[in-house]
Amino acid sequence: TELRLSHQWSNNDIRHKVAEIVAEEVAAADVDLEIKIFGSSSLFKAREQYTPLTRGQLDMTILPLSYAGGQQPAYNLTLMPGLVKNHDHAARLNDSPFMDEIKEIAAEDDVMILVDGYLAGGFVGKEKCVTKPEDVEGLQTRAAGKSFEQMLAGAGASIASMASSEIYNAMQTGVLDAANTSSSSFVSYRIYEQAACYTPAGDVALWFMYQPMLINKTTFENLNEEQQNALLAASEKAEAFYLEEAKKEDEASIAPFEQAGVEIARMTQEDFDAWREVAKETSYKAFVEETPNGQELLDKALAVE
Amino acid sequence: MDPLLLGGLVAISTIVVLFSGLSVALALLFVAAGFLLIFDGARSLQLMPEILFGSLNDFALLSIPMFIIMGAAIASTRAGSDLYEALERWLTRVPGGLVISNLGACALFAAMSGSSPATCAAIGKMGIPEMRKRGYPDGVAAGSIAAGGSLGILIPPSVTMIVYGIATETSIGRLFLAGVLPGILLVGLFMAWSIFATWRSGNAQVLAFTNYSWRQKFEILPRVLPFLAIIVGVLYAMYGGIATPSETAAVGALLTLLIAVIIYRLWSPVAIWAVLRDSTRESVMILWIIAAAGVFSYMLSSLFITQSIAEWIGTLEVNRWVLMGMINVFLLIAGFFLPPVAVILMAAPILLPIITTAGFDPIWFAVILTINMEIGLISPPVGLNLYVINGIAPDIKLRTILTGSLPYVGCMVLAIVILSLVPGLATWLPDAVMGDRF
Amino acid sequence: MSGHSAGSVARVGNNPFLKAVAALSTLCGWTSAALVVAAVAITCQMIFIRFVLNGSTVWQTEAVIYLVIASTLIGLPYVQRLRGHVNVDLVPLAVKGRARKVLGIAVLLAAIAIMGVVLFYAVELWLFAYERNWKSDTVWGVRLWIPYLAMPVGFGLLTLQLIADLVAVLTNVEPPFGIDEDPLTVHAGAEGARDAEGL
Ligand code: NA
Ligand code: NA
Repeated sequence: TELRLSHQWSNNDIRHKVAEIVAEEVAAADVDLEIKIFGSSSLFKAREQYTPLTRGQLDMTILPLSYAGGQQPAYNLTLMPGLVKNHDHAARLNDSPFMDEIKEIAAEDDVMILVDGYLAGGFVGKEKCVTKPEDVEGLQTRAAGKSFEQMLAGAGASIASMASSEIYNAMQTGVLDAANTSSSSFVSYRIYEQAACYTPAGDVALWFMYQPMLINKTTFENLNEEQQNALLAASEKAEAFYLEEAKKEDEASIAPFEQAGVEIARMTQEDFDAWREVAKETSYKAFVEETPNGQELLDKALAVE
Repeated sequence: MDPLLLGGLVAISTIVVLFSGLSVALALLFVAAGFLLIFDGARSLQLMPEILFGSLNDFALLSIPMFIIMGAAIASTRAGSDLYEALERWLTRVPGGLVISNLGACALFAAMSGSSPATCAAIGKMGIPEMRKRGYPDGVAAGSIAAGGSLGILIPPSVTMIVYGIATETSIGRLFLAGVLPGILLVGLFMAWSIFATWRSGNAQVLAFTNYSWRQKFEILPRVLPFLAIIVGVLYAMYGGIATPSETAAVGALLTLLIAVIIYRLWSPVAIWAVLRDSTRESVMILWIIAAAGVFSYMLSSLFITQSIAEWIGTLEVNRWVLMGMINVFLLIAGFFLPPVAVILMAAPILLPIITTAGFDPIWFAVILTINMEIGLISPPVGLNLYVINGIAPDIKLRTILTGSLPYVGCMVLAIVILSLVPGLATWLPDAVMGDRF
Repeated sequence: MSGHSAGSVARVGNNPFLKAVAALSTLCGWTSAALVVAAVAITCQMIFIRFVLNGSTVWQTEAVIYLVIASTLIGLPYVQRLRGHVNVDLVPLAVKGRARKVLGIAVLLAAIAIMGVVLFYAVELWLFAYERNWKSDTVWGVRLWIPYLAMPVGFGLLTLQLIADLVAVLTNVEPPFGIDEDPLTVHAGAEGARDAEGL
């Protein structure tokens, strides 16, 4: 049996390595199962993977689940400011009743989650540091994710929407004053050449994005038991790797910024709480309004210690 | 089936279907659907609308209709002949001043429109009759305009550069800058050949000059101001922090429409509709090919053909310049039959991994590819510019237009050789303006 | 591709069906042009809000993308009517008389078949998005059936125009590939042919 896995990441990205581990482990198990990886958006564009997955036209993918937030509003909770504090907290969240709900919702779309994983991110400023809500007032800001746009707008920032690949040019020419995205994107797009200050994810961080490996549920159920077990075992192994590497990535992202002479700022617990207050009034509120069962889901997520 | 064999089969089917007379976009869709149905099952056909919509779901594509509106609006005014006349009055003391001012006007006009045939028509309508009247050989008159017009896709803004930038995720701002110096190089080569050919034809006396008074020289200058205003406005928006390159196109379109209406008095609704109709026809055609090419490249990738070809070429033990030569021959042949946009969309996903693995610079390659496409524009059988010339100068035999254009093809091949020897001609300016690349 | 040729257009003769389809396609052309003009206006508005007023611009980028997509898809039948979709017609020019007619009919049938398939699945996707109330994953959160509507409309009317073109060839209102049996006319692709005649 051959399964096709599509993703948008480059060959040296951690998410490609996660996919590779699963593919290699499954191949080593010798259960007549092969996973063919189509990386770098070579099969589907980033945001066009979820629908074919739900319809069985694509077997597997690894993507930010919030991309499908327009189809399942509950997914927006997987990219919600201040919901996840750090990577260990994220790991506890993955095994919580909250995530069970998300998995049930995915099952409605005929989707099954194989590998859990969160990646973190931070802020850059073109002229000054961004750590607390007052810092973004009046800045042209590009945010990664709908709920972050809502929160930043609530803090007085002006929102400019563009692809992460455009951040570099936009900061260089002065179209943008600040940006928020994942640690790996900051490095791969060389944003450190255009920033004065970087606020990486540390002991506390605001931006965590759930980026699981998914499989079409029917496709999975049609595999024989041996194949299913091999796939699950491989996924478990990949998940452990994913968590370890995700932690390293945040620290690793600091080095190129330091080398480029960029100031490194840290977010304190107080800053974090201030942001969360803004988020409660903006993105949390909007989420509850537009999601059936939204309050209950949010409470479940916030209940995870 | 072996993906390489399958790839061969796809290539043959595509050629057969294209030559049947089906439009390029539908031919791509037809071949893609056929192979998906046979080798991937019916479930893949279900994906076609999503891929068509998804291929167009990109903000950067906005600049295509915008720059086309710019070209069409400016081509519908007398801006082209104003420009041409101004250059002619000022360059009169230069030997061969007339053909030089024609080529210069082509280059400047190209800097305004993203489209080659528009450049050709706007300058040629005035320039060709004038050159013939003063005794330049028909071949030089027609060939220089056909070749000069082809600069529209090399000198920024350029629709083909935008399409390349989108297909390969390369910075469009950089690509635009990369086309500037090679564009100037080509203009120089075209001028040199035109003067030589005129001198050789025995009409050397036409290389002497007519005289214009200083008064005549200065009174025409204000008429090229609107033109400069647009160029400066667009450049300022793009590199001055006002807008991203894709947004800049809209500024250009608005500016051009305003100038066309206010200064060139393009007031009548009929005239404005003519501009919109022509630009709709061209941009819908291009964007529809982009959408269909999305389905085609999904098919190639899904059947693992793209990946296998790239791998196979990687294992070939050939010199990288031999490889580049082969790629050029392929692009030339494709360019003979297909419009530039279609060639880029079909070829870029396959060629780009090969190019970068072989150590070539994707920005430099964009220029090489564009010059190849320019050759396609002035070479038979589907050389678009030739037919534009045939339209504006019906009494020059098509044969003369064809033979007159051939030496300019030679100039372009020479430019490719020069760019291969001195790649900095393409890469220096973008690096100088936008900083070193990552 | 030139900026200002008069252009060749699908011929309609006295056939009321052909006339009606031509009118529909022309209406599509106006709509398509209007959508692009709206995209220009919105982009300039966005630059103004951001650069001059330093305000938020959350919906403009997305709106402009959908406008350009709609302009393209809804413009398809009009451009088909204007014979603006480029093709390579070496073979159609090489064959003559009956053979050309057979080839012309076969090509139109192939075009209708492929667009029919695309139209069928486009309607299916549109219904899917409508029933499940899919939205875009942005703050604006557009209900996707609205931009998706351009697909059934554009593909449907393109198919209709292609059927009309087939009827025109079958009833001899228009010669196959629009090529008149005139040895003096120069043809090279729809583009070349149009420019040669029009300019
Ligand atoms: Na140009
Ligand atoms: Na050609």
